[in-house]
Amino acid sequence: MENSVSNDAASAENKPQRASKVVFSGQGGEFFGIWIVNLLLSIVTLGIYSAWATVRTRQYFYGHTQIEKQPFRYLASPMQILKGRIIAIVIFALFFAISYLSPVMAVVLAILFMFVSPWLVVQSLKFNLRMTSYRNVRFAFHGDYLGAFKYFILLPILSVFTLYLALPWALKKIDHYICSNTSFGGKKMQVTTDTSSYYIAALVAAAIVFGVMTVVAIIGVVLGILMAVTDSGNASAAALMTSVAVFVAYFFAFTLSGAIYHCMIRNHLFERTELPGIAKFKSKMEVLPFLMLTLTNLVAIVLTLGLAYPWAKVRKARYLASVTSLIIYPQIDTLVDEQQSENSAFGEEAAGLFDVDVSIA
Amino acid sequence: MNTVANVTGQYQHAGSSTLYAAVAVINDQQQLQICCQQSGDVLSESAAADYRYGTIIPGLPVELRLRDGAVFLPDDAHFRWPSQARSSGWAARLESHKLSIVAAVLLSPLLLWWIIFDLMPIMASAAVPLVPDSVKQQMGKQTFYTLQKTTLKPTELSASAQATVHYHWQMALQKLPLTNKNYQLHLYKSDFFGANAFALPDGTVVMTDDLVILLQNNPDAILAVLLHEMGHVEGQHSVRMVAQSLGATLVIGILFGSPDGVADLLLGSGTALLQNAFSRDMEREADNFSLTQLQVLGKSPKAFADAMSALLEASSADASTSNQLLKYLSTHPDTAERIKLATDLQQ
Repeated sequence: MENSVSNDAASAENKPQRASKVVFSGQGGEFFGIWIVNLLLSIVTLGIYSAWATVRTRQYFYGHTQIEKQPFRYLASPMQILKGRIIAIVIFALFFAISYLSPVMAVVLAILFMFVSPWLVVQSLKFNLRMTSYRNVRFAFHGDYLGAFKYFILLPILSVFTLYLALPWALKKIDHYICSNTSFGGKKMQVTTDTSSYYIAALVAAAIVFGVMTVVAIIGVVLGILMAVTDSGNASAAALMTSVAVFVAYFFAFTLSGAIYHCMIRNHLFERTELPGIAKFKSKMEVLPFLMLTLTNLVAIVLTLGLAYPWAKVRKARYLASVTSLIIYPQIDTLVDEQQSENSAFGEEAAGLFDVDVSIA
Repeated sequence: MNTVANVTGQYQHAGSSTLYAAVAVINDQQQLQICCQQSGDVLSESAAADYRYGTIIPGLPVELRLRDGAVFLPDDAHFRWPSQARSSGWAARLESHKLSIVAAVLLSPLLLWWIIFDLMPIMASAAVPLVPDSVKQQMGKQTFYTLQKTTLKPTELSASAQATVHYHWQMALQKLPLTNKNYQLHLYKSDFFGANAFALPDGTVVMTDDLVILLQNNPDAILAVLLHEMGHVEGQHSVRMVAQSLGATLVIGILFGSPDGVADLLLGSGTALLQNAFSRDMEREADNFSLTQLQVLGKSPKAFADAMSALLEASSADASTSNQLLKYLSTHPDTAERIKLATDLQQ
């Protein structure tokens, strides 16, 4: 924090930068109505309305996510979502049916999918970022097929041959690929993440899984001995309890380690990412609040048979916004995206045939 | 048509982040004029065809999108344009009206249940005849080939034991009006499957050595198991299972979207539970087929109960401990329930 104080003083004469927080103003109760009504309409229309539901939900969340009181906007039209969804469903149904028909074809299709998926990822990133705007300036994704194939397929596969020792490095490369190819108003993000931070996060996460599992195993053995000695309880009840306990422990271990990894990496990635001359990012996620949020959301969703889902989603968005802040430079007030002002703003007129996000969800 | 007077808000030119505090006016010709609040300069003028209203979402202001890419956003999140067609607000009205929300809470689960457990099985059954026979043949052949390569070994049963099984198989084939013409019985030794039998969509039925040995003193029980497997083939259960699982996966994927970690786990296990439910339904169908055909062949339904009891004993599970919760985790109906069905029928 000493840095920012001296920075403020130094730049005060020419370009005053300003600190700002991300604010999420959505309300659980309000979103519940949107969610449940959209769910019913989607069911009644046998899924067709789900494209409209997706757009409305994103518009709600984008519109309520604000920086300096300026909302994000989601610009896609439901028809674009519907088209992409129909394509995705046809592809998925074919894959699903054919892989049941023949195990050999299933392997062939899996390999084929491996080559197609980078294209789908790039297509999806391009679509979703282009459909996102802040202060009437759009985001964009500049990655290409070869890059995506290298980072999403090749590196993870190669890391298997290093006994996963290279995986944190591969994950760093993936994050780097996505972020450094993202632009806002034509300006690309600059990312300077450390490989070491990814290794530390991965090590801590692995150690947590190992630690929790060890503790559970010890407790299990002790309980087993106790039950054998006292000869209490029947065998099948014990077996059932063991499998439930193992499942809970397994779930807890991976949720905890996932939370730790996510916190460490998000904080690091935000710290080391900037839009040169426009904004710097800061994330202050903490493991315990995030873990509690995740677990209480889960419990609430289970206990309400899913009805708490909108509340949980809003709560998570609010938390993630509250731990995110920015340093904003004055240039943000005068950005002009040349390319953007050429096209018609009415989505369906500008959209090409394949201007879709091929995704079921 | 409604005119709109002096709506305060902010205006941005196309692709520009520069904000203008502005005032929007729409006249009786539906022409839009946006003026800067400070200078009074006209920032934009558009005919009715060159601007559109944004989506109405509860709790959010409704923007005006201009054809050239400029945007006007009212300051008041609750302001609604009187000039905007009333019909464009129906979704937002439903989303914020108590009655429609309550109705959605009640109706959504009911309809979802009905779609998954009634509509989809019906549609799956209707789709089955559309699947050409050659596809079913391929499905069976390929799976059988893979199993032979991985988990099945040549049978070690005595010639007489094999003959008994084949005799009952042939008898059933000859006496029963079966629709599938390509029934084939194979006996295999398999450590992976243990005492088990299964049917493939092309009519291939496999019974393991362990199961034959388990039931060797009760040939009618072997017949009951064979009939159960024929029931799967006759009911085209493999193809229906594929269709139903695909349907359920798609319905859940489309309706509940890309879930984050938490919901993912729930939906994942939900889909698995659904598959098990489908599987149990089909097992019951095959059970019923077996029981009916046993009677057609002049055998007692008790033979089926005997087979189940033997399997139950072999798996050493205590019939009394199979509790309500485990029921949903199982791909087969409760064995005690299946035995009861057979013995009920016998009386």
